Amino acid sequence: MAQTLDLGTRIELVSMDAHFQEISIALYRQQHDTTTHYLVHSYSSLDGATERIEFIKETMITLGGIQQTADGLLHFACGAQHELACKRLFLEACKHNPAATATPPPMTVFDKKGECNLTVTGLGDSSYRAAADSDEAERRVAVLIGGLTRLAQLEEKGDAIAFACGHQHDALIGLLLGRALNVRAAIREAELNDSRGMLAAPSQQN
Amino acid sequence: METSTSSMNSRQRVLAALKREPVDRTPVCNPTSVATVELMDLVQAPFPMANRDPELMARLAATGYTELGFDSIMPVFTIIQESSALGCKIQWEQKDNWPTVRMNEPIWREPEDIKIPSDYLTHPDTKCVLDAIRFLKKEFGDEVAVVGKTMGPWSLGYHCFGVEPFLLMSLDDPDKTKLCLEKMKEATVQFGVAQLEAGADAITLPDHATGDLVSGEYYERYLRDMHIEFVDSIPIPIILHICGRTVDRMDYIAQTGMAAFHYDSKNTPAESMEIIQDRISLVGNINNPETLYSKGPEVVRQEVYKNLDAGVHLIAPECAIPLQTALDNLKEIPKAVRDWHRDHVSTN
Repeated sequence: MAQTLDLGTRIELVSMDAHFQEISIALYRQQHDTTTHYLVHSYSSLDGATERIEFIKETMITLGGIQQTADGLLHFACGAQHELACKRLFLEACKHNPAATATPPPMTVFDKKGECNLTVTGLGDSSYRAAADSDEAERRVAVLIGGLTRLAQLEEKGDAIAFACGHQHDALIGLLLGRALNVRAAIREAELNDSRGMLAAPSQQN
Repeated sequence: METSTSSMNSRQRVLAALKREPVDRTPVCNPTSVATVELMDLVQAPFPMANRDPELMARLAATGYTELGFDSIMPVFTIIQESSALGCKIQWEQKDNWPTVRMNEPIWREPEDIKIPSDYLTHPDTKCVLDAIRFLKKEFGDEVAVVGKTMGPWSLGYHCFGVEPFLLMSLDDPDKTKLCLEKMKEATVQFGVAQLEAGADAITLPDHATGDLVSGEYYERYLRDMHIEFVDSIPIPIILHICGRTVDRMDYIAQTGMAAFHYDSKNTPAESMEIIQDRISLVGNINNPETLYSKGPEVVRQEVYKNLDAGVHLIAPECAIPLQTALDNLKEIPKAVRDWHRDHVSTN
């Protein structure tokens, strides 16, 4: 009798969890009516694996403002997919130190390159505007906006950016601020992960 | 594992297809690894231990049949078991990556250096494979095909001499290269025969005269006759595996008398079938990096259908699948095969 399950479409995988026994943890997407749900799952039956999955879900709720159904599925209040943002949220939750309490991320980040604080403010109509506390950091604000646009699939709306769903997602914005300043590093990390586990012929190996 | 309408079991189906005899449906047979990190978790048999402990190796390999629904079980996930037994230094890596030979530290430079150690078949990394095959035969008997693997001399040359020195030798001194291959083939034969004696139903023989570095003419010059010899010296259905674009050598490969050729997605099913002309079975072709790893079940299904439409004898991924491959994509392969046959029975 097969034990593998029909869990939906796997959209992200942490192949070796750094915080629990190197188990593999995956994020699956399921569509229920008009709402996209996400499932965090591991096939590991090690003692503590279930608790680890629960911790990751709780961390995703705190860090990204995602919600949980009675069945343990995650979804955004708006019901929209926000898949890229959710993948990033999952990865960040898996990285989060279990010994440290997760707190909702602030909407301000210190930018080392521009030596200034960058703040994103919700305008109350699903759009956000970014600003720096230095007059000379206009370029860094543009970098931040570009990064958020790419990481969370935000749309430009005049001089602001907005989620296509028409809702506010402050926690997600806060979570992505740090990464948005260095999108290339996030992409490099993803590429590195993708290249692991591919068997190369001996002639292709170093 | 099979529906009540099946008239053959998995092992019968695979062995018949390897002989190009009639089958009740095209078998799904993996000549190389279908292990994934999620399957490792499911049966608590992670890399690197599953490459060195026979019980874990057998348990992980069995999931290809019990979980994915393939018609074969292939426990030899890596390409380095023999090289480890020959004395190469191995980087065993972690759960989510493949072990590799440290080819920048070659163990041989001259033909005289080549010695098959007396403990070659009792070395932990070769014995592990033999024991895993015995476990699998004990558990599954004749229900499913157990496929072993023994590396060919060209691949062993890369591992033991280093890729560059070995290729340069083949350019500069063909006679010396042939002598090296002659001496290394003993390792291939010994390990292959030992797996046959342990109960393997078929053997994959990867010999990495790959399309990117070695021409079809090279294959004919250095390897064809040796591969013909293997058919007699390892008396079990042999599945030759060579990665890359290989249509320039498929005619030579078809002359070897081997049971099957495990072929890469860089060759189309139709052109490959045209070349082999019923002299050897074809298996493989489902693309790994772009399809099984990166796309969804619909695209996997299309590739399976393309092979079935062309008359390919056994369906499989083109090579060892990426360890992070999604299970849904793998399970789609046998599902697609069944659906294709159902549709073709109902339309005929």
